[in-house]
Amino acid sequence: MTTIGEYFLEALPLLLDGLISTLIIFAVVVAIGFPLSIIVASLKTIGPKWLRRVLGVYTWIFRGTPLLLQLVLVYYALPTIGVVLSDNLVILIVYVLSVTAYESEVIRGGMAGIENGQYEAAKALGMSRVQIMRRIIAPQAVRKVLPTTCSEAIILIKDTTLIAAVGEFDLLRHATSLVTSDFRIDAYVVALILYLIIASILTLIFSKLEKRYPASI
Amino acid sequence: MNQTMIKMIDIHKSFGDHPVLSGVNLKVHKGESIAIIGPSGAGKSTLLRCINKLETIDKGAIEIEGTVIAAKDEPGYSVAHKHEVKAALAKTGMVFQSFNLFPHKTAMGNVIEALLTVKKMNKAEAIKIGEKQLARVGLADKADAYPSHLSGGQKQRVAIARALAMDPDVMLFDEPTSALDPELVGEVLEVIRRLAEENMTMLIVTHEMSFAREVADRVIFIDGQQIVANASPQEFFDNPEHPRIRAFLEKML
Repeated sequence: MTTIGEYFLEALPLLLDGLISTLIIFAVVVAIGFPLSIIVASLKTIGPKWLRRVLGVYTWIFRGTPLLLQLVLVYYALPTIGVVLSDNLVILIVYVLSVTAYESEVIRGGMAGIENGQYEAAKALGMSRVQIMRRIIAPQAVRKVLPTTCSEAIILIKDTTLIAAVGEFDLLRHATSLVTSDFRIDAYVVALILYLIIASILTLIFSKLEKRYPASI
Repeated sequence: MNQTMIKMIDIHKSFGDHPVLSGVNLKVHKGESIAIIGPSGAGKSTLLRCINKLETIDKGAIEIEGTVIAAKDEPGYSVAHKHEVKAALAKTGMVFQSFNLFPHKTAMGNVIEALLTVKKMNKAEAIKIGEKQLARVGLADKADAYPSHLSGGQKQRVAIARALAMDPDVMLFDEPTSALDPELVGEVLEVIRRLAEENMTMLIVTHEMSFAREVADRVIFIDGQQIVANASPQEFFDNPEHPRIRAFLEKML
């Protein structure tokens, strides 16, 4: 029987392969979902009433239903209405929409906490509403919500395990297949360590960000 | 010298059922500094905030250098084209009681923000103006300081520099010293006094009676939603005719 150390090295390549799906989803959500969340939060704050209502419904649906359900529903429903997208694209779209629903609410909350005087001062200087959001309100709101956003990011990493439900191989599913084929649970331990490493890196990055961009200077 | 800077015609404004201004008429000439005084809640700040459209009016009309920026139910007045209104509003600068500096930007960042975004200046140009305006309020050495590292008086001076950087024709001061510790009031009033000497057109809502007396060309007293007195400081302070003014001054002096 191989030692746990040897097994670790043996299992690692396959698990890292699974990790790549997790990291791709994470990268796409950070690159698209985060900026989108800031835009959606801004529109929820200053957008026209009809748009605020539309975004409210969107948030209600994507926050109020399980990500797993959203994933399988969109994955299996889109082809039936004639929309054929690649599996990966469908998965990425659902993750971006789901995370944006949460994160835009977090950022909107941060925006609501910024005193009215900031808007008034910027308005008195002649800044447009878009400029006020982009240059004055959003930067302050994002700083305020960094700690909550860190939690959201870690939850996202763990939620990427759900892609197994639509047939994709993520870290956990690879681990499970190893566990069932090798009749030993070590692969789970390796997966656990990998998740913890990612969470630690994220926590570290966010604590650096919080120091670099403090909520109150 | 007698060019009209701001004209307010029969301004009415209520917040819900609560009337704040009921038929206010006011003409401000170029180069004048006007002190607006009166009891708390009399509508002084609201009057000021109507001029740069931070508040809407319920009735009346407001002109800035001949451009109608707000008009409602006022025969003969209709609001100018959007671009003209914007251009007219750009001639006003405002300083707030609570400073309202942008906390995530340095003193320089605050001063140049609107130069970059509104006037679309390049950064080097904007910083040149920023340096000049910060020097003007005596804070050239604080350009890189964040608001949280400045005293109240310094914050308010940065706020004044920020407004001046936009090169306004009229400055609106909304109780600029009311949030300051007494020992910091002087440095802010000194900056405003110098602006008066440079003939900046100014409307100053204030509770500083001796400052109003010394610096203002005219004193306007607002009480019960209306302008009760509109007089020279000498007339106003030495010969208050209206019993409400006398009662107010007795409390303040």
